[in-house]
Amino acid sequence: MKTFLNLLALGALLACPAAASGALNIFACEPEWGALAREIGGDRVGVYVATTALQDPHKIQARPSLIAQARVADLVVCSGAELEVGWMPVVIGQSGNNKIGIGKPGNLEAANYVPLKEVPTLLDRSLGDVHPRGNPHIQWDPHNILLVAEELARRLGNIDPGGKNYYDARLTSFAQRWGQATQRWAQEAAPLKGVAVIEHHKELTYLFDWLGMPVVGALEPKPGVEPTSAHLSELVEQQKINPAQLIVITTQKSPEAASWLSGQIKVKHIALPATVGGTPGAKDLFSMYDEAINRLLAAEKS
Amino acid sequence: MFKPHLIAGAIAFALVLPAAARAQTNPQLEDIRKQIQDLKESYDARIQALEKQLKEAEDAAAKAQSAATQAQSAAGQAKQSAEAAAAQSSASKPPASPSAFNPGLSLILMGGYYNSDQDPRTRSVTGFLGSDQYALPNRGFDLGETEIQISANIDHLFYGQATFSIEDGVITAEEAFFQTTAIGHGFTVKAGRFFSGIGYFNSVHNHAWDFQDAALVQKAFLGDNFGLDGVQVSWIAPVSSLYVELGGEGGKPVDFPFADSSFNSNGFQVGTAFAHLGGDIGASSSYRLGAWGLTSENGIAGQPIPALNFTGFSNTLSGGSDNLWGLDFVYKWAPNGDPSYQNFKFVTEWMHRSLNGSLTFAPGTAQTQTGGFTANQWGWYAQAVYQFHPYWRVGLRYDQLNEGVYDLGSGLVAAPGLAPPDFTPKRWSAMIDWSPSEFSRFRLQFQQDKSQQGLTDNQVFLQYIFSLGTHGAHKF
Repeated sequence: MKTFLNLLALGALLACPAAASGALNIFACEPEWGALAREIGGDRVGVYVATTALQDPHKIQARPSLIAQARVADLVVCSGAELEVGWMPVVIGQSGNNKIGIGKPGNLEAANYVPLKEVPTLLDRSLGDVHPRGNPHIQWDPHNILLVAEELARRLGNIDPGGKNYYDARLTSFAQRWGQATQRWAQEAAPLKGVAVIEHHKELTYLFDWLGMPVVGALEPKPGVEPTSAHLSELVEQQKINPAQLIVITTQKSPEAASWLSGQIKVKHIALPATVGGTPGAKDLFSMYDEAINRLLAAEKS
Repeated sequence: MFKPHLIAGAIAFALVLPAAARAQTNPQLEDIRKQIQDLKESYDARIQALEKQLKEAEDAAAKAQSAATQAQSAAGQAKQSAEAAAAQSSASKPPASPSAFNPGLSLILMGGYYNSDQDPRTRSVTGFLGSDQYALPNRGFDLGETEIQISANIDHLFYGQATFSIEDGVITAEEAFFQTTAIGHGFTVKAGRFFSGIGYFNSVHNHAWDFQDAALVQKAFLGDNFGLDGVQVSWIAPVSSLYVELGGEGGKPVDFPFADSSFNSNGFQVGTAFAHLGGDIGASSSYRLGAWGLTSENGIAGQPIPALNFTGFSNTLSGGSDNLWGLDFVYKWAPNGDPSYQNFKFVTEWMHRSLNGSLTFAPGTAQTQTGGFTANQWGWYAQAVYQFHPYWRVGLRYDQLNEGVYDLGSGLVAAPGLAPPDFTPKRWSAMIDWSPSEFSRFRLQFQQDKSQQGLTDNQVFLQYIFSLGTHGAHKF
């Protein structure tokens, strides 16, 4: 028992260097929301990003480090629509932090503020790991980013009333720059319209819909199920009837299946950043879109 | 002669009647068609007007772009509100039935096949568990345990969860507790029946185990999952860079190896304290370290000591307590922190038990002795599980128990039956499992069990674990 008490004392000692500073602590589930929080929150917020662009946000585990970060968070910003269902409920539940519970101002689920695509009409697990509320990978439609930015500014002003004007001003500035950029991307991406693609998962649906690029197939036979050789053979057959011009995956996925199919059907395969940080150039939301569109254009031209 | 005519007449009538009806209702139908046409036209006009407005707004925005960025923002705002309207109209309305508030429900199906050299009903762990306590499955096909878990937020203050296990017609409440969600400051209070937060393995439900069975030291000292009816308080330190959790529990133990919860006395019969530290090492690795202690009143009065499995001598233990402490360590690795393709997990736990009380011992025909008695024993296990390919994992585990030392108080004289057996129980386990989705798993496990003196028991488990319903979230 004595040894045990000593260990407790050691734990208490280690607990001393508290990290809390004056700034609002934002816990962003995914890098795109971390980047958005920096755009809107500026110097008044400190941002912790729980996942990287190389991690599948659906398969994260409730690691102790995440619970420790959630403990001190004033606001969590997540994609929602069950994308983080395997870990965020545990992280929030174990954190003992009553500010970030579901329905609280400190809990922002982005999917609640945008129109979701691919809402399933049939919910059955035989169809793979479908998300009942719709496709949660909403970061690839620039309109969605703006909708979430607006809600984020509102929440920040709510939690930190002293900074309300600051957040509103930053939102206006961001909305202006984002609106211009969106128009520019739409112009630049004009040649991509109608270019048929095969994707890996459904994580780029919003991008392809926005750019008018028809998706004719997915490497995954069912959402969340890794590519199988039987399914890839089907895609080879399908190419004869419904041909794709590009295979587009993200840098988060293994390129194995895309590369194999590319060799079989003689169609180029490229990888886009899944989110901010997915490629060296994708440093923030603007450069993430730049990077994606440039890579698509480069592949389309060649 | 008559009948065919009648039938023919009837058929003719039947054929003519609807036609007549059609002829009659035609003007009405025309009316409706006209109304629909009118409606459609008015909609078209309205849609055209809206499109025109939208076009104008877009044109205006485009013009303004060259002039000033101010208008851009307005266009953005307009787009936003348009999108918001779209979101509102496309958002599915929540169902207005009482069942909309149904809690999360999941069902775990488990079962399999067991093959072993030795009869599981006669197996024991020398010095620790008697043959009725080791609880190996029956040989051959066996359904095992079916689990139902129900959980939901109760209101703005509480969360509730219950896990029922159904096995051979017996339903047990493995866990049934409520937990606070609104205290804040890092505090959470849990009360009811729950698995203790001590150690690593103890609070993990059967379906989430990495091997078919619990480690020997876990089984011998704590049962598969040590649960209590009582209260747990835990606190997370407000340190973002290091996970620090402190907690304690008090209540009544539920099951073996502690006395069952039917005993009737005021206050706490068991108390625990635990501490966990954890964090990440770079992007790919994470760990958690733990230490814990537990003290329990000895509920077994006037019974042989089940926890020591004395055999061949009449003995009873009264009073005293069962004191445990342990250390646990978990390390996980995944390339870039993404466990999808490959990941690795290492777990080790070490536990010590000190069981004491007043022992009445009758060594054969000699005189009965009574005196203070303490058995100090310990054990540990280490296991590694590696996912080498999506869906496929392999694992290896080693178990060991140490028979320890018995301290005899005054009144007890050293005798052959009063010394620990000269034997160290050991076991090796290897498993491979295949999980085609997050909801299904098949496992094959080989085990060489040398936990009973003089025996080697080679065991094979084939197991399935299915999870239906709510997508569960698992602890680290």
